[in-house]
Amino acid sequence: MNEQEPVELAVIARQAGVRVTLVRRYVEFGLFEPAPGTSQAPLFAPSNASRLAKAERLRRDLGLNYAGAVLACELLDRIRELENRTD
Amino acid sequence: MAVEFKDYYEVLGVPRDASQEDIRRAYRKLARTYHPDVNQDSDAEERFKELGEANEVLSDPEKRERYDRLGSQWRAQERTTGSGENFEDFFDQQGFGGGDVRFEFGDGDFSDFFGRLFGDGAGMRTSGPLRGLDREALLELSLEDAVAGGRRRLTVEGGRGIDVNFPAGVRDGQLIRLAGKGAPGRDGGPAGDLYLRVRLKPHPTFRRQGDDLDVDVPVAPWEAALGATVPVPTLTGTARVKVPAGSSSGRRLRLRGRGLAKQGGGHGDLHGIVKITVPRHLSDEERELFEKLAEVSDFDPRKNRA
Repeated sequence: MNEQEPVELAVIARQAGVRVTLVRRYVEFGLFEPAPGTSQAPLFAPSNASRLAKAERLRRDLGLNYAGAVLACELLDRIRELENRTD
Repeated sequence: MAVEFKDYYEVLGVPRDASQEDIRRAYRKLARTYHPDVNQDSDAEERFKELGEANEVLSDPEKRERYDRLGSQWRAQERTTGSGENFEDFFDQQGFGGGDVRFEFGDGDFSDFFGRLFGDGAGMRTSGPLRGLDREALLELSLEDAVAGGRRRLTVEGGRGIDVNFPAGVRDGQLIRLAGKGAPGRDGGPAGDLYLRVRLKPHPTFRRQGDDLDVDVPVAPWEAALGATVPVPTLTGTARVKVPAGSSSGRRLRLRGRGLAKQGGGHGDLHGIVKITVPRHLSDEERELFEKLAEVSDFDPRKNRA
């Protein structure tokens, strides 16, 4: 129901509706990282799928590059966090 | 179905003689403002789709020319017929599409108006499948429902009704993820997820303090003084609780584990709070006994006051 077991990159790609190479690229740009203790065979939290889809929507819709999309995601997270804190 | 005329210039906020550069600039700025991942307003997504459609038409000189031509004809017709007719009739009369023409647009991202205008499939740029947006909806529950779990019918964006099952022991503020129940994907991409945010409604009897609950326990003066076993309501029924002799108002009687579910397992506690209650009217005999008590007692409740 809540946070599930980490999954392989291919699962994230399928859930986000994108190709695995694209997920790799986002990982290179630091959008998200492998779950702790899985550096040998990297696994990722399933919640990253929606984050990835969001970055990709922003990149395509607003004409950003990868670094820009990752930055936008981080700033949006930041804003939500601050808004939640002031609620 | 009537197809409404859309003023794409108005959508982008540019004059009719705007240059391609003006249009591009206006679109980029508004797209950044109304992108549904950026803007949390409920109508942002609708607005963003409109922007995309307006940009699709106006940024392409060929489509813009066609739109301008049809638009001015439509307005001319509106003047002669007194606006009694809709754009769809206009299209049919002009011999543009109608009938069995099928339009293929990514999950209805573009309006019927656009479909009428460019029904030959000159449509949107295809950019491959992409997962739909995640949605969030509020799940308001009574404390009893939160403890027991159950099923609820929710209306989500777009008027869709969905049945959701929620487990026993959900907490205030908890997110429940329903995979694939969010917005549809783009170009065959998977749907996003729906997140239900649990909110526990205030309860007429129980006051919530985090995972713990408080409930008043009214007792008679003699019960408080002599001790008694009294019924106390819980979320699942009634418990019998011992009020020790010599309990004053405000004394907390803990019922361990009868509160709400805790994060990471276990339950909070239920606190019965002693509330000494006196009869509004005394019988002659009661009055006599209280007067007698007042006479013989040297109890001073205000003794320790500074």
